[in-house]
Amino acid sequence: MEWNPMSDGAAMEKLTQVFRDVLDEPDLRLARDTTAADVDGWDSLAHIQLMVAVERAFGIKLTTGEIANLADVGELLDLVVARSGS
Amino acid sequence: MEILKTLVERGDLGPARARLRTLARSETDYLRFATLCRWHDRLTARDPASGEPGAGDPLRVALLGGASMDLVEKPLRLALEAAGLATDLFRADYGVIAREMLDPDSATARFRPEVAVVAPTVFDVSTWPAVGSSPEEAAEAVERVVDEWLRLAGSLHDRVGCDVVLNNFHPLPTRPLGSAGTRIPWDRNRFLREVNHALAARAPAYVHINDVATLASLHGVLRWFDHRFWYHAKQPVSLECMVPYVRSMAQVVGALRGKSAKCVVVDLDNTLWGGVVGDDGVEGLRIGEGDAVAESHKAFQSYLKELGDRGVILAVCSKNEEANALEPFDVLPDMVLRRADFAAFRANWSPKSENIVEIARQLNIGLDSIVFVDDNPAERAEVRRAIPDVRVVELPDDPADYPLALDATGWFETVALSDEDRVRGRLYRENAQREALKSETLDYEGYLESLDQIATVGVFDETSMERITQLTNKTNQFNLTTRRLTRTELERYRTDPGKLGLHVRLADRFGDNGLISVAAGHLDGDTFVVDLWLMSCRVFGRGVEHLMANRIAEGAARLGAARIRGLYRPTAKNGLVAELYPSLGFAAVEGAVGEWVIDLDDYRPFQPAIRVAEPANGVESDE
Repeated sequence: MEWNPMSDGAAMEKLTQVFRDVLDEPDLRLARDTTAADVDGWDSLAHIQLMVAVERAFGIKLTTGEIANLADVGELLDLVVARSGS
Repeated sequence: MEILKTLVERGDLGPARARLRTLARSETDYLRFATLCRWHDRLTARDPASGEPGAGDPLRVALLGGASMDLVEKPLRLALEAAGLATDLFRADYGVIAREMLDPDSATARFRPEVAVVAPTVFDVSTWPAVGSSPEEAAEAVERVVDEWLRLAGSLHDRVGCDVVLNNFHPLPTRPLGSAGTRIPWDRNRFLREVNHALAARAPAYVHINDVATLASLHGVLRWFDHRFWYHAKQPVSLECMVPYVRSMAQVVGALRGKSAKCVVVDLDNTLWGGVVGDDGVEGLRIGEGDAVAESHKAFQSYLKELGDRGVILAVCSKNEEANALEPFDVLPDMVLRRADFAAFRANWSPKSENIVEIARQLNIGLDSIVFVDDNPAERAEVRRAIPDVRVVELPDDPADYPLALDATGWFETVALSDEDRVRGRLYRENAQREALKSETLDYEGYLESLDQIATVGVFDETSMERITQLTNKTNQFNLTTRRLTRTELERYRTDPGKLGLHVRLADRFGDNGLISVAAGHLDGDTFVVDLWLMSCRVFGRGVEHLMANRIAEGAARLGAARIRGLYRPTAKNGLVAELYPSLGFAAVEGAVGEWVIDLDDYRPFQPAIRVAEPANGVESDE
């Protein structure tokens, strides 16, 4: 995959907004290496809501494995960029 | 949502709670519903008591899920409150339904619920018919499953005396036997259908089946159940369908406690039929066969008829001349509903909230028993604002969707039908005839302010002439002279120096109503004569007539007039404006019927609740 800073930046912005809305944390900031442990409220239940909200925002569908095994925000970002760009 | 935020910031927690209930009643989107749940949490934390919709202690409800109920609990809590119930909700640990219901010392038993909501999934079905089962063996398996659930319900009921709301089983999303499964006793979907039938047939009076099977079918099983989140976290329902899932459970509980609606109040024009009877005439209405829109409205009438047949009271509330409103019921053969189907029939020009209050009084039912159906968002907003207890259907634009929208609310949920239900409509109709009608004043000014109306007033201009001609030739009700003019004749009000033509466009927070009012007149000596004054029925009672009167007075002054003369020519349909001129301060001209006059020095401008935008076509430029 080609590195495309513009689309990554836009996707990160959109992703951040989704996380802010779902977690009700208007000041939340995400980085590529952010994990669930770093974010207040990102527990296993919020994770389901986040994944559904991300799917809707980007018009994509995540697989069961992806939902279960996401390591950090960077991985999620790569997924949504790859899939919503195609 | 904005109103809710404002109320919370101001500390008006009671009204905020009422607003929250209103929003939660009609919200279908899960993510927005989840936002409402957070507001619910905040409000409950700040003031637990304001969640009390009625008197008495909160209803003790236990939720027992076969799957994870973590994401169900809060939406269910809000849905229960939206259904009119203050509840104390207890969520049992998941996956232990049997122990919770059988063990006299379980957390659920100690909670002593008044209602237990039991929500198994297909993964809680303990026995499936073996491959190759005979019909008898499959029937035995059905009995085993049904026995098991009814025994559990009976055990909890005997111990704590609670009602049990029991979800039935939705179809599986796969069918390895294909269509042949309909004839094969051990087909699993066939088996689940048999279980659901037997559960309903054998349920004792304290067990109330929540028909998840039909609900999931309506939404589509593939949408209803998301395997990924079952494998991931044992979610019983997709988030997409979470709201109908919890709402359905809440409404069965609500029905148990008499919280279901009893009466549906419907608008007429563009709701029961297509078109506006006052303008299009009876013959111009779209109802019946042979035209898609007409069929849509007929189907909606048929749905209302079905509601009526099961005991929901039907009533009409329409802004119309009563004679006009009644005529279609008498003369149109394709009407499904007849006058006798309605327990109350109110057609007048008062605010709808006042009429609904009157209907409630006449039928002797609470406002919270009433559902209001109207295609006009401004009317819906007026009713919501003035009488928030009334449940207002957020009607979609397409009349074909009306029955679905009303049905999807679930507001008429019932746990049983009695003989009385079948004749209730007639009883109320008879009572209605005994009641005298009174009027009720509500805060109508506040409603108008809340509409954020913004108008543009202009003189006749090239771009507006087509619409001006159309409106002039089809408006019947608010039309002082009902003069039909050709475009050429109307052009003279644009070009002749001694003439003036004005039009008004009106927008509000629900959208743009477009060009909705026209007035035109000519100078006769020092008198400005209003030849034409008309307005679309869509914006009756919004203050546009006052805005127009002001602009007529200003225009007449610019032409050098000293007074204005207005004419009223009665027709079968314009009784609405018979008293317009006297209401504006005009005096009757002696010896001339239907003529009114006012000196410009005596004219006092009105202050309608309408902001006026800069004119698009330079109405002031010829000053």
